[in-house]
Amino acid sequence: MPSMIRLIGAASIALAALSGAPAPARAASPADSPVNVPEPEGFWTGPPKGYPPKTLTGATVVDIGALDRLVAAEKPVMIDVALADRKPAGFPEDRPWLPAHRSIPGSVWMPGAGAAPMDPAREAQFLSRVADLTGGDKTKPVVTFCHPECWGSWNAGKRLIQNGYSRVYWFADGVEGWQDSHETTILKVDAAWAAKPAGEAQR
Amino acid sequence: MITHEPTRASRTRRSFSAALCLSAVLLTGGSALAAGSSDSDAERVERWKDIAKSIFGDRAIEATDTLIKVDAPPRALDAALVPITLMMPEKDRIAAIHLVIDDNPSPYAAHITFGPAADPSEVKLRVRINNYTNVHAVAETKDGKLYEAVKFVKASGGCSAPMGMSDEEALKGAGDMRMKFAEGGQGKPSEATLMIRHPNFSGMQMNQITRDYTPARYINKLDVTANGKLVFSMNGDISIASNPVINFGLAPDAKGPIKVVASDNQQGRWEHSFNPPGPSN
Repeated sequence: MPSMIRLIGAASIALAALSGAPAPARAASPADSPVNVPEPEGFWTGPPKGYPPKTLTGATVVDIGALDRLVAAEKPVMIDVALADRKPAGFPEDRPWLPAHRSIPGSVWMPGAGAAPMDPAREAQFLSRVADLTGGDKTKPVVTFCHPECWGSWNAGKRLIQNGYSRVYWFADGVEGWQDSHETTILKVDAAWAAKPAGEAQR
Repeated sequence: MITHEPTRASRTRRSFSAALCLSAVLLTGGSALAAGSSDSDAERVERWKDIAKSIFGDRAIEATDTLIKVDAPPRALDAALVPITLMMPEKDRIAAIHLVIDDNPSPYAAHITFGPAADPSEVKLRVRINNYTNVHAVAETKDGKLYEAVKFVKASGGCSAPMGMSDEEALKGAGDMRMKFAEGGQGKPSEATLMIRHPNFSGMQMNQITRDYTPARYINKLDVTANGKLVFSMNGDISIASNPVINFGLAPDAKGPIKVVASDNQQGRWEHSFNPPGPSN
């Protein structure tokens, strides 16, 4: 049954391609299949988990091999936008709640920085932080990542491209793609990002 | 007794949601390195110390190769359904066991206390794993000492993986139970598998449509007795997989009926009795 749903999804995309019509950028409903997911017009505003496209226009999509080469060659700025673990409401006080965000060593963790839409003040804060990290050089390589099937890093990359960054790399496999062959480390939320502007809603 | 099979239906659905979120499947192949760099190892040791302190206070924990062993697939196919086996070969010395999944945000997965009707030599259960992590098993002996064993498990995304169905559907029939018995020779059961239908919502699973988090609802207490004598009592947590399945041993002189009382953190309470097959069958 699930495979049928996926097949139908894939078939309808294939049909759309055959008929010459561009595949619709379904802004709010997640793709049924990882095959041929179209890029949305602007940011992805649908559910944060789901199949993203294979591409991000204006960015270079990197796998672990390409990321390794990039890291070895020129120390890119690495931005992790994965959401923080959420403490369940009513979680018993007498049990340990000790979330640990494991990520790529040397990365800057800005949970929720791939949200869309985003409060303008929060977006300005993100861009200002990236400007700090790149020393104001918009040609410096910046890598965005979170987890596989997480739209946040796609949106974060899009946001940087829209703001003139010319060397944006999207590492779609995220922490999971890294930890298979590399060590991870426990990261704390970036201090500058943790200081939230008033009135922002983070998703 | 309601006897529908809780695991089969959920397995189909789980495989669907696993395909959807792919969080448990690793996209990169190639050689996987075991935990290697000393920085990272030191960090993992440090974390275990913090967790152990929060659970056991200042009590000393000794490493053991014999009192408890923990087994799990080194690479789990589904991070929301990772099978764990705890082996306690010197069963007569064991009073209780603790299961800790170091890198889960709520690391203390289960605490099981054995009673006189138990054979504590082996317990199997299924857990959620949030990230590549050490899994610690701690045995508490009858003289009050603690012993630890560890296994590194590769899986991720298990705590927040959605169930692939609506919350209402997931909660349908919650509290239904089944028990299977395995023969231990002379027609007597030596072990039993308890299956409970319950979503065990972790509180970290987001409803993809409403983008609200499904409130945590999980079995936090399980008491199993055999003809009034305690087999085991378990305190569970959000790290226990949905539709909990637990496999445990029965003492040679344990008699039916086997009574199970399960309760969850939302005041749900369910009671079922099971009759093991007698020697005449």
